[in-house]
Amino acid sequence: MNVIVYGLINSLLLVLIAMGFALAYSVSRVPNFTHGALYVLTGYLTWIFLNGLGLSYWFCILLSIFCVTAIGWFIYQLVVIRVRGMPTSEIIVTFAISLAILELLRWRGLRGATYVLPVFHRSTILIYGVPVDSQRIMAMLITAVIVLALWLFTHHTKVGLGLRAIAQNERAALLLGIDSDGAATLALSLGSALAALAAITILPLGNINVATGYDVLVSAIAVCICGGLGSWTGTILAGFVIGFAQMIVVYFIAPHLAMVVALAAVILILIFKPSGLFGRQKELEERV
Amino acid sequence: MKKILALIILLSLVLGVGMAGAKPIVIGVAIDTQILDGFATIRGINLAVEEINAAGGINVKGEKRPFKVEIMDTRDCEPGVPVSEALLVVEKTILDKGADFIIGPNRSEAALASLGLVSNYKKIQLLTSGALSPKFHETIAENYNKYKYAFRITGESRFMVNEAMDLLGGLNGKYGINRMFVLVQDVAFARAGGEIVSENLKKKGWEILGYERYPTGTSDFSAGLLKARDAKAQILFVMGDMADFSILINQWNDMKIPALPFGNYLGPAMEPKFWQVTKGRAAYTIVNLVNAGNAPSNATPWTMKFCKAYEKKYGTEPEGYGTSSGYMAPYIIKDAVERAGTLDPDALVTAMEKTNLVGVYGRVRFDQKSHQIIPSLDPAEGAVGTIFQWQDGKRVVVYPPKIAMGEIKFPQWMTEYWKLKKK
Repeated sequence: MNVIVYGLINSLLLVLIAMGFALAYSVSRVPNFTHGALYVLTGYLTWIFLNGLGLSYWFCILLSIFCVTAIGWFIYQLVVIRVRGMPTSEIIVTFAISLAILELLRWRGLRGATYVLPVFHRSTILIYGVPVDSQRIMAMLITAVIVLALWLFTHHTKVGLGLRAIAQNERAALLLGIDSDGAATLALSLGSALAALAAITILPLGNINVATGYDVLVSAIAVCICGGLGSWTGTILAGFVIGFAQMIVVYFIAPHLAMVVALAAVILILIFKPSGLFGRQKELEERV
Repeated sequence: MKKILALIILLSLVLGVGMAGAKPIVIGVAIDTQILDGFATIRGINLAVEEINAAGGINVKGEKRPFKVEIMDTRDCEPGVPVSEALLVVEKTILDKGADFIIGPNRSEAALASLGLVSNYKKIQLLTSGALSPKFHETIAENYNKYKYAFRITGESRFMVNEAMDLLGGLNGKYGINRMFVLVQDVAFARAGGEIVSENLKKKGWEILGYERYPTGTSDFSAGLLKARDAKAQILFVMGDMADFSILINQWNDMKIPALPFGNYLGPAMEPKFWQVTKGRAAYTIVNLVNAGNAPSNATPWTMKFCKAYEKKYGTEPEGYGTSSGYMAPYIIKDAVERAGTLDPDALVTAMEKTNLVGVYGRVRFDQKSHQIIPSLDPAEGAVGTIFQWQDGKRVVVYPPKIAMGEIKFPQWMTEYWKLKKK
């Protein structure tokens, strides 16, 4: 029962982490390697607003989500738009921005166990005899709400349908008058907002440190590649597959192999089904 | 009166100018400044240097010379332990910064690798924090002529293992506790520490119920904690310096696991602000601080004097491993230089080997072959360690008995579960 409960938690947290990356890629085809850096930056900004400016916690959360969303917008408009369509350059540029953000935070002293965010509510709940803290329960609920909200947005709003159109076929969408760059900007901004939401939900479980940025990026990429770049269903399913696989390995084999599971999943998927579980990149499969 | 005042002013000017004009003795600090061991050490060094310079500096055969500190970040405690980069920084500290003495690096891997480099330049090297592997001083003893310039002025993992064995033995004797689950960071010193303590306790009849290694960056320790709970562990033996261990302590408290966390080196839990960071969930966590003086105690008359001076300068109690040993490093150097009367490295080696002074964490003497500081449970005889427990927001020293300021306590849920009573 320990494995089932914490496997479910782990899976949903992975989905929460990966959603922003998946959204940004599916619409703009830009692999946003700043994802992890924005995650950590959100935590740091919230901490600064809370402890430096003494603002209320909820206002700090909203303000930092807004700031990170804006940063995502700027990253696309000022940098990525100039290299869009050149995949290697997109990766280099976004990774360089990620390094710059994380190393700047390191230089500013983001280290140790000092930088922590308060949990939303402190209590422990027993689920079939397995103790789970309320922050993890809330993270699961928030993930479910966000997935539902995104589904509703992309299926029942004009803007969301536009994003889906771009994701399905950019040229056809352009012919219908949907602005590709506008959609990409929106996707990257929303992706950044989702990274920020993930940070606000998950970071109170531990502390804010620079290394987390790299771990989050690797996890997001692993889930998206396994699920299929551009596929929502794939991302969610891959989150569950990797989440449970990690928990089984941690519980029955060894905890230090947890990251190996994610990376091994990527390797296996690229060997046996390069487009991912639900990927639509047939060109890649045909080439391989 | 006016003449006396004028004379005093003149003398101060002369001395000041004399010292200001004197070539400083450079302490090159090549350590990872991003971790507690690193920045706590730097703060200790800076405090000592300030005090020494304010008192007139170091008397080198009649000439008063001040200390100067040059700091360079080796980043050797990062994942992957970039040893080659750390060595470049050590060399740069010697060549570019003109260091007369080297303090650092932190990680055992980097410290061992630096032995050859530093000895080639014939610089006295002091290890004040990190590098807990016994291999360091064993290497010096095996190659004395080559590595004689290196000294370790702090404890190492074998001392810490002995201290852990003694303290846990005490709990066994008093309360009948004998079931342990081991959770360590996946780095060399922690793995070794966990294995050695487990093996030794097994010989004494303890049950070691599990051994798990967690990589740096782990954000969920639920699996290990639940296994410990299901296996009915009474002690959680934790070892490592990663900040993520604060998550383990939070989860331990939230889950009310009926086992006492014993951190035989638990990086984040050493700091005074850990209580605030965990919002009190650190209560009952036991932590080994390696040297006395890293938390307030009355180990020697100098200990509390140091703690108060540190708090006055930095607004906090000594922060953890490296603070008191970093503070002692300039004083040990000063003592050796003044006795040797020279900065000649070979003369300094002889002087260092004859060191015998009562410092912040007890008597400072070195083994003549391995240059390891001699440990003891009595500060009058040797360097003492410190193990404390978080109680009501304070770090209460509970070991060694000679300097203890309180007794070990248990959380209520553990006392009720195990029906703990003193024998």
